Amino acid sequence: MSPRSDLCGSTSIEMISSYWQSRTSYVPRLSRDELDGRTLIPGKGGTLQVELVVTARANGLLVYTLNPTLDALISELEKQHPVIVLINRGYSWYPLWHYAPVTGYDSKNQTILMHFSDQPNEALPIETFAALWKRSDNWGVVLLPPGHLPASASAKTFLRSAYEFEKMGMRDDAIIAYKSALRRWPKDIDILFALANAYYHAHRLSDAEQSYRKLLSSEPAHPLALNNLADLLCRTGRSKEALRVLDKAVTDNIKMQSIIKATRKEIAEGCTPLRKNQ
Amino acid sequence: MNISKFVLSFILSITLFAQTSWAQMASTEALFKQPVTVSAKEKVIQFSAREDVSKILEQMDVDPKMIEARVASMTDEEALKIASQIETLPAGGSSLIGAAVFVFVLLLITDILGLTKVFGFTRSVR
Repeated sequence: MSPRSDLCGSTSIEMISSYWQSRTSYVPRLSRDELDGRTLIPGKGGTLQVELVVTARANGLLVYTLNPTLDALISELEKQHPVIVLINRGYSWYPLWHYAPVTGYDSKNQTILMHFSDQPNEALPIETFAALWKRSDNWGVVLLPPGHLPASASAKTFLRSAYEFEKMGMRDDAIIAYKSALRRWPKDIDILFALANAYYHAHRLSDAEQSYRKLLSSEPAHPLALNNLADLLCRTGRSKEALRVLDKAVTDNIKMQSIIKATRKEIAEGCTPLRKNQ
Repeated sequence: MNISKFVLSFILSITLFAQTSWAQMASTEALFKQPVTVSAKEKVIQFSAREDVSKILEQMDVDPKMIEARVASMTDEEALKIASQIETLPAGGSSLIGAAVFVFVLLLITDILGLTKVFGFTRSVR
């Protein structure tokens, strides 16, 4: 596969997609034409970082923005996670921006292996790579099937990437990503909350209830979770318990207070029942 | 505010209220931002950012058939970033066509020194 000059963004996504397709059950959602058509801006002669991220996500891959360090890059490569980097092949005053998948690190020869132009695993001295990469402030993204976690991920940043699936209506992918994150950070309150909400909106109500309760067992005063659990209980015909749960929700946040008030009003007036999906 | 913007914000305010059936749910969004819900005014700004992105892409010769899908796949923050910074954002993919001979020779030399990497046939001396 050879990168086509203006389309290195699209080609990089395609290469990483086929990498994961050959190793996991991941299936790309977009054709090559769609990848091209979604990434190229002819008037800019290339692809914006934002649109590379957007398109990779639309192709069903979780996009994690790498910590801008060589260490973070190498830790991903050691886990066989290829990384798309943005480099400037020219000068600051004559930039030639280019995306390329980095595929490996050769510690013996101190080289970075990357699909620079038309051959795989081209070796670049690490100093040269570092100089070219620095000009984009070390910008790089790890693209992963939703069940995989970046080696260098922090819980909060990963949650944001996963939540982006949900915002774009890819809720099933988000649920897979939240669940795999919980395997690494089993006690993370925010991930539990996000998963519970995703279940709720997918009408998987028993799963949602279970997740809210699990969260509350380690943080009993979490006002957002208490509120949402109360809402769920009410909508599944358990108004009394809903009120008891809601009474525990105390917060200084004015907007949160108005949400709790709305829930209380809803419980008093009778909730619209939710249809269960399972 | 011209008529079309007025109409737009009117339509938007209707869709906003239409979503209030979830008003009693605290959204996952609350984990990332201070405000639990985005105010109507912010929503209008973000909505017009999407309009702006569509126009920008159109002006920059993007295939018109793809514009809707492209913009629809963006989060509000992503659309806002493109709308506000399109002039300065780098676009990976620039080819060498149009480079002056001077730059060409300079790039060739610096390629060999390992300071740039433009040509497939150069090998850095580093």
